[in-house]
Amino acid sequence: MTWRHARWTAQHPLPIGVVERAAVGRSVNAGDVIAAGVALGAAIRMKGARRLGLPAADLERELRVAIGTDVTAGTLLARTGRRFPRALTAPIDGRLLHLTADGDVYIAPVVGRWVVRSTLDGAVTRSDDGRVSVEGAAWCIEGAAAYGPDAIGELALGVNSPTEDLAPSRVDVRLGGRIMVGGARVSAEVLTRAHACGVSGLVAGGAPAAGLRVVYGETVTASGAPGRDDRPTVICLIAFGSAALPDPIYRPLVALAGSRAAIHTASARLFVFAPADAFEFATDELGLALAPDYASVRALGERTVNGEVTFPSEVRAGAIRQGGEVMPSANVRSFDTKR
Amino acid sequence: MIVSTGDEAPVEEARVGLGRPLRVALLSGRDDASRRGVARIALAAAAEPCAVAPTDDPRSFGELAQAFRDAAPDVVLVGPDPKGVAAMAVLLEALRLGCGTQLPAPRIFVIADPRVADQLRPAAVGFPFEISSEVGEVVTALRAFRRGAHKDLTLRDELIEDAARSLASSTGGDALVVDVSEASTSCVLARADGLEAAHIVPLGLGAAGDHVVARAGLDRVRRWLPRAIDAPALLERVFNRALWPGALPATEAALALEMALAREAIAHALRDAEYAGLDAAAMRAAPAVLVTGRAASFPRAAQTLLVAVDGIEPSGVTAVFREPDDGRAERVALVVSIRPRRYATVLLTHAGGRVEHRVARGSFTLVPLSGDVEVSAKGAPVKGIGHGGAIGVLIDARGRPLLLPKRDAERIPTVLRWHATLRALPSQGAA
Repeated sequence: MTWRHARWTAQHPLPIGVVERAAVGRSVNAGDVIAAGVALGAAIRMKGARRLGLPAADLERELRVAIGTDVTAGTLLARTGRRFPRALTAPIDGRLLHLTADGDVYIAPVVGRWVVRSTLDGAVTRSDDGRVSVEGAAWCIEGAAAYGPDAIGELALGVNSPTEDLAPSRVDVRLGGRIMVGGARVSAEVLTRAHACGVSGLVAGGAPAAGLRVVYGETVTASGAPGRDDRPTVICLIAFGSAALPDPIYRPLVALAGSRAAIHTASARLFVFAPADAFEFATDELGLALAPDYASVRALGERTVNGEVTFPSEVRAGAIRQGGEVMPSANVRSFDTKR
Repeated sequence: MIVSTGDEAPVEEARVGLGRPLRVALLSGRDDASRRGVARIALAAAAEPCAVAPTDDPRSFGELAQAFRDAAPDVVLVGPDPKGVAAMAVLLEALRLGCGTQLPAPRIFVIADPRVADQLRPAAVGFPFEISSEVGEVVTALRAFRRGAHKDLTLRDELIEDAARSLASSTGGDALVVDVSEASTSCVLARADGLEAAHIVPLGLGAAGDHVVARAGLDRVRRWLPRAIDAPALLERVFNRALWPGALPATEAALALEMALAREAIAHALRDAEYAGLDAAAMRAAPAVLVTGRAASFPRAAQTLLVAVDGIEPSGVTAVFREPDDGRAERVALVVSIRPRRYATVLLTHAGGRVEHRVARGSFTLVPLSGDVEVSAKGAPVKGIGHGGAIGVLIDARGRPLLLPKRDAERIPTVLRWHATLRALPSQGAA
């Protein structure tokens, strides 16, 4: 099955420095801010319990400002003694980051702000300083790999046919904030141009692996690269390189164009928010075949089992025949097989 | 996998696998011994290092905490040096800040004297904290973690270690088992005084082929291909293959790619082993080498041999065996690695008589002899005895480390010639 309307859960990991986050049970829409916080610079370690003459375990009780609070330079953090008082004050504007086991305090300057947005319409099911999970119903297709930060926007078609590559000239600033459907392939040039034009994300059959390395770094792998950096977002639905979108994937994309959508890169999922009964999609199983030389992946139509065959590589294995082509059955699998 | 268990129950199904992935963060002291100690445990337990932080890590406290949060380790291996306990406590504080909300919380294993380890306990409050000075104990615990609820699962790395012990006892000397599978690569050396094991996950010729490229670089994989291919096209093939666990190479080009990935995976496994302080030189000098996994399942024994010789770069007289996952073990060849100044004469004594071969520096020669062969040389310090196997005696005088020409116009004919020597490609004629 390719597209499915169901209830999904999207995990949104949070960076360190959370200031506020959505509470469990809160209803959110894709694109809503579910957490906000501050980006922190190099932290300073201050003597706490030792300066105040306290046992380490008692410092937390004596703190006048809770850990995780923003403070300004000079703010009194803790104070002990009456006749001979000892005080702990903030040396810089920043955020009280951490209280150590031996009673010291880390304070870090605030160097920026961040927000995390929901990628699903639904309700918050888990919320802590590490992550916020949202559960909700949506149309969804799970791709092969996704790169970049999560993206939210209106789904827009950038090509006229599923075999077409998205041309850089089709991308301009009028498409800012949208998620573009890029057909069989989006090149590195399209990725960077789309990002520069404010396009929220790109959806395509494939993207050139070498282009992904240029955009996301040399250590990028086939399992995707979710991130928080300001980079383009792309989801490869089928493979790497050029992969024409088969009908069961492309027709729903055409039908859903104009709907709100989101790319959740960690799970390589494209969510589209439209009613469950809005369209009738064929939900037949879609078979994919890896080319004998691994250069591409394509959809399989009618095929027959061919028994054991010795291939040009001299590998002898069970084979599948489609038309005049024979391929190892190990190189054929259904679209939704877990990778 | 079918395992014979004797007459009463002739065969028994055994579940073999890697178990669940084990992500480990490695926290070490400044000194090499501490760094090697934790790396060695990670290698022995087939764990995937997701974060590495020595006590002199230049990152700030917040950056370290964020790195630990992003890494989301299942286990943290802590190898403190006695003088760096305070600095190690800072790393653990960063871990507590980063992973305090992680569910389940990472398990911390401190490999140190209990008195040293106890000083670190407060900094890791809230996390499961275990102390051990026995490396074997920690490896056993980590393997139990990988098995999870499947107590009857036979871990692939344990099987490989058993194979290494068996080979060593049957050959009466050091034995190296090299396993390259879809997503893992292992080098296990069995010696009289114990095992040295490096199991690297993810690194393989299929589903983790992209990790080979990410670690070694694309050019190091491309250099082994006997035909010209541009880098972007090659990268696409590697990435597509990574999406397809269990795919089979139907063409010669795909087979050559898997062979190239296997060579680099082995070379990287040895490099990791060396980094962790394992005796990589002894691995290269082992007189018996068994290749298993996908690298042993190539259609021709010569393909396995070429991958083993290029990846391991053996340094003596080496008997090479192979055992595919679903096949029987076979003797492949006897490899004689020599480094003559200019020329050397290799003397091969076998049941049929004695053969002399003049070997030039840089040559790669196959002598099709079967049965037991005694090897000696004039002009190079080589001596040994072994079985010629299915292919014969391979005299490798290409030198160590093995250097390939940089330019395609020189490199491709060279690599093609090496393949042709062993008839390693289907297009080069019948095996």
